[in-house]
Amino acid sequence: MLTVSVKWQKKVFEGIEIDPTLPPYVFKAQLYDLTGVPPERQKIMVKGGLLKDDADWSAIGVKDGQKLMMMGTADEIVKAPEKAIVFAEDLPEEEQATHLGYSAGLVNLGNTCYMNSTVQCLKSVPELKSALSNYALTGRSADVDQTSHMLTVATRELFGDLDRSVNAVSPTQFWMILRKKFPQFSQLQNGMHMQQDAEECWTQLLYTLSQSLKAPTSSEDSDAVKALFGVNLRSRVHCQESGEESSETESVYSLKCHISHEVNHLHEGLKHGLKGELEKTSPALGRTALYLKESLIDSLPRYLTVQFVRFFWKRETNQKAKILRKVDYPLELDIFDLCSEELRKKLEAPRQKLRDEEGKKLGLQPKSTSKDSDVKMTDAEASSKESGESSTVTQPEGGSSEKGTLHMTGIYDLVSVLTHKGRSADSGHYVAWVKQESGKWIQYDDSHPSLQREEDITKLSGGGDWHMAYIIMYKARFVSM
Amino acid sequence: MAPGPDPNSIGDGAKRDEATTKVPSKDPKKKDDKKEEDLSEEDLQLKQNLELYVERAQDPNPELQKAALESMSFESLGYRLTGSEGDIGSWGHEYVRNLAGEIAEEYTVRQGEEASIEDLMDLVQQIVAFHMKHNAETEAVDLLMDVEDLDLLLEHVDRANFRRTCNYLTSAAKYLPGPDDMLVLDIAYMIYIKFEEYPNALQIALFLDNMQYVKQVFTSCTDLLRKKQFCYMISRHGITFELDPEMVENDVDREMLQDIVNNTKLSEGYLTLARDIEVMEAKTPEDIYKAHLLDGRASSGPSADSARQNLAATFVNAFVNAGFGQDKLMTVPSDSTSGSAGNWLFKNKEHGKTSAAASLGMILLWDVDAGLTHLDKYFHSNDNPIIAGALLGVGIVNCGIKNDCDPALALLGEYIDKEDSSVRIGAIMGLGIAYAGSQNDQIRSNLSPILNDAKAPLDVIAFAALSLGMIYVGSCNEEVAQSIIFALMDRSEAELGEALTRFLPLGLGLLYLGKQQESVEATAEVSKTFNEKIRKYCDMTLLSCAYAGTGNVLKVQDLLAQCGEHLEKGDIHQGPAVLGLAMVAMSEELGLDMAIRSLERVLQYGEQNVRRAVPLALGLLCISNPKVTVMDTLSRLSHDTDSEVAMSAIVSLGLIGAGTNNARIAGMLRNLSSYYYKDASLLFCVRIAQGLVHMGKGLLTLSPFHSERLLLSPTALAGIVTLLHSCLDMKSIILGKYHYVLYFLVLAMQPRMMLTVDENLKPISVPVRVGQAVDVVGQAGRPKTITGFQTHSTPVLLAAGERAELATDKYIPLSPILEGFIILKENPDYREE
Repeated sequence: MLTVSVKWQKKVFEGIEIDPTLPPYVFKAQLYDLTGVPPERQKIMVKGGLLKDDADWSAIGVKDGQKLMMMGTADEIVKAPEKAIVFAEDLPEEEQATHLGYSAGLVNLGNTCYMNSTVQCLKSVPELKSALSNYALTGRSADVDQTSHMLTVATRELFGDLDRSVNAVSPTQFWMILRKKFPQFSQLQNGMHMQQDAEECWTQLLYTLSQSLKAPTSSEDSDAVKALFGVNLRSRVHCQESGEESSETESVYSLKCHISHEVNHLHEGLKHGLKGELEKTSPALGRTALYLKESLIDSLPRYLTVQFVRFFWKRETNQKAKILRKVDYPLELDIFDLCSEELRKKLEAPRQKLRDEEGKKLGLQPKSTSKDSDVKMTDAEASSKESGESSTVTQPEGGSSEKGTLHMTGIYDLVSVLTHKGRSADSGHYVAWVKQESGKWIQYDDSHPSLQREEDITKLSGGGDWHMAYIIMYKARFVSM
Repeated sequence: MAPGPDPNSIGDGAKRDEATTKVPSKDPKKKDDKKEEDLSEEDLQLKQNLELYVERAQDPNPELQKAALESMSFESLGYRLTGSEGDIGSWGHEYVRNLAGEIAEEYTVRQGEEASIEDLMDLVQQIVAFHMKHNAETEAVDLLMDVEDLDLLLEHVDRANFRRTCNYLTSAAKYLPGPDDMLVLDIAYMIYIKFEEYPNALQIALFLDNMQYVKQVFTSCTDLLRKKQFCYMISRHGITFELDPEMVENDVDREMLQDIVNNTKLSEGYLTLARDIEVMEAKTPEDIYKAHLLDGRASSGPSADSARQNLAATFVNAFVNAGFGQDKLMTVPSDSTSGSAGNWLFKNKEHGKTSAAASLGMILLWDVDAGLTHLDKYFHSNDNPIIAGALLGVGIVNCGIKNDCDPALALLGEYIDKEDSSVRIGAIMGLGIAYAGSQNDQIRSNLSPILNDAKAPLDVIAFAALSLGMIYVGSCNEEVAQSIIFALMDRSEAELGEALTRFLPLGLGLLYLGKQQESVEATAEVSKTFNEKIRKYCDMTLLSCAYAGTGNVLKVQDLLAQCGEHLEKGDIHQGPAVLGLAMVAMSEELGLDMAIRSLERVLQYGEQNVRRAVPLALGLLCISNPKVTVMDTLSRLSHDTDSEVAMSAIVSLGLIGAGTNNARIAGMLRNLSSYYYKDASLLFCVRIAQGLVHMGKGLLTLSPFHSERLLLSPTALAGIVTLLHSCLDMKSIILGKYHYVLYFLVLAMQPRMMLTVDENLKPISVPVRVGQAVDVVGQAGRPKTITGFQTHSTPVLLAAGERAELATDKYIPLSPILEGFIILKENPDYREE
């Protein structure tokens, strides 16, 4: 008879007797009584391994008074969950993309960052995407030429690819057609395609889309691109010498922010940009005279594009030079004082409503009491996204129901920034910074999207060698009345 | 010879010149007094020459002055030898110092001529005696090193100066070429033994890896309590050491001491520290990621589980909660609906489950009983990766802990020949971790056959070689070396190209870790016959392992030359060469700084495969020691266009910050997690690095150095080096299905604590000052050893480069090196004020 002690977990069981004539299974049964661990789950360490149920005690060489160690629990054995876990890695690529919350980047095909950043900025306009998806695949109307049609289709395909893919998309097809349509983008230098001006790409692409997306009825209002981006300006042209005065209207796709020594802020630049001097023949004087042109905004777009005029032709060096001056721009832009008198009148009521609502959000007592307006507004906004062009401010009273029509407020929120880094327009690097529907800002540096903080977006205002805003886009804030 | 800081010496140069002129000019005058009348012609000649020199020495022309001084100073030895004997010190220190310099030169000359040096040695005796009496131990040592007779020191050291002498000897040893450094340390050891300064003697014995000396420390000392302190020191070094009756007579005492050596109380001490610092609360990976500090991220996390990210969370959870015995993913009670413990395990995919199950071993690190209890249920799983993880977990939980019952061997031994490769690897790697450095014969006889088994898959063979290397680390064991060499020769051309094949030469290299040339020579010769695909990799690995921690400048240069070559693609040996550079240079501060600078150069001019290894080398040099310059370099590289450079830089950021909770690195990694949000592989690396930085919630270190940076734990270094070699091919190993190699780091994980215990080994709290360590070697007087200190009460954390000293006289520490476990004895002379 041997006496041993057994250590199990943190406990020690002293004085357990072993009868060497009986198989170790008997010993294990003894331990079962003490620990509650079934014998088949007991692991007892002896010299050279584990104690087997049918081993010979004499061969193991257990000594009297020896300390043995036992491992084992009566715990439930882990089982795999009945419903197998689905891992993101196993999902098809499209579903993986939606999990990320933002779309893919674009591969740089050799100095094509100007194009990539333009595409990323424009893609952030959902209305443009829906207009494109409604664009008839095959039948093009007679007044759209073949290459414009191809470019429109390519744009639609590229937007689709970006939404579906997790990894960076290579815009080869789009690039080919873009160069076909606009041969100036095919310029070569040392056998490489040259860097181009993103602004030119932006303007040309938007112009093409506006032509091809025009509904066959060819009425002004059905121009989807114009409805989204077009700004109507009413200008007063005035000649000081002769006292002549005339007025003219024009429609543009972007406002210019002129940068001079006095301009420190976007607002000042815009004002500057809406004033101009021009020389033309004065019918009264019979010679060329200096005219002053002052423009005011007559109608507002859903998306207001502002171009910082950072590049100018420097005659002395025969080069496009860049103005590095820092011009701040806000996340929230109010252009009320750039509007014409009539427009201001229209805007007043919606602006009052907006102020009330904001006050309410801040916990202030609302002046007018319509408790459910908040809910309706979000509903209305959601529906307007689908309809696209139904509720611009030019036709505010045309809505089907009195309630829930959306009105412009003249207040805009920043949604995308296209920046340039470098000293001249034909070199350097373009990057797009786009606000997602989730409210996150993503920097699209060609194939590499990365998250950015909102406060860093306003730091792209220039004044150094960092990325600086070149084209920025604001989205109108609506209020439902 | 450079004038040391002697009280008699005057720092500024001009005045010293004056002093030198004065002494010899007095010299002839004295002689004049005595022997004016009977000057021989020869002497007269000498006298005249000397007078001329003295005159010229005052000449305004500096050229002439210099020449005069030079010719004059070489005269004093001649005079001394031919002239009177008398007291050598009567003419002042400057004279003695001058003599010593001349003796050193004369000695080399005579050595060349094989002439007798007896008269010189007589003089050396006198000079050494003089220096040792006058606080100029450093000069005495310098002189004796010059004349290659350090044994003389033993006669001249006394209670007052032996500490300073030994201090100088140990620090000088770092800069001496082998085998001189060993001789110097030998002398230091003997001096310490002579003055019964056993802890220091033990330290040197461990440094020399001389078990005979270790034994001698035990047999020379009669105090049981002091022996306990020795055991704590041995356990920190992480070697396997068996006490015998000669060292400790009483059986009961011996068992108790052996328990300390076996580290059985490590877990308890670590938890005492954790409770004192109040960090017991388990942390989740989210607590580490701190996503709320990044904009907009937290709101819309991916809704489906990503296997890669869950695996990263598994590792983060394991590293952060290492040793605490509780966490929020793996150990949460399983009685809640359908067992939530199982839930997290199954949120890992396939081989990921291996790492998840093994993470339990990490969470319960050093607590063998509780660890085995937790792991038990996974042994009965029918899922092979889970069984593999449980086996590996057993190995991890036993890391550094020895137990008479040998639970790891008993449990794992059965599985090494199972059918499934993953189960085999789990068992083999577990054994390697649990028995690292043990030189266990039984395991060798179990593992060796796998190496030469033609049917065994390559990955099993690779891990077997690695585990054998770990178990026999630094042993130079011939048989193991033979087995690995044969295994390497048996590999086909295709197999040699596999990523895991690198573990074979690495296993081989580990056998010679730190053992230098003689031992590795034979194997290095054999490696020349290997297939060229692996030959150079093997050469570099053997060289770097053999010289690891020696600071050998010549080897650093050899390795640097390898890095400078511009080779065809596909050559992989430059990676280990860069790592080797760090391994050799890491032991000593100056060499370390030089290596960092050299690596910056390599980064600029090296080829891509060299650049990829540089961040890892930096990580090794500054492991758990986040130097700002290195941090900046790595931060820069973490954005490198080459994703592999970026990956190794990110992992290295984790290594240099390991266990420090360094806020700056944590911030960098957080930003990287947002920058690489979309790149699953890089994000995985970022997560691992985040886990490392917060390892053990900041209570652990990965540094293989301890005892004031003197001792290098071989098993710890082996663990780190293995991980770094795996990182050389990140994509195939860590980002592939062998991510569990990350657990090799457990070999280097140690609490960076100072825990004081009383005579019954129960923790007691006493005030201590903790501050930046100051190098006081060779300084005059009794300078402060720490600066910028703060007073805390024990247990305390020690950061890299910090040192502690007791702030009370009530107790006497039994070891002068206040690190790890320190036994305090009550001071009999203490009076309450």
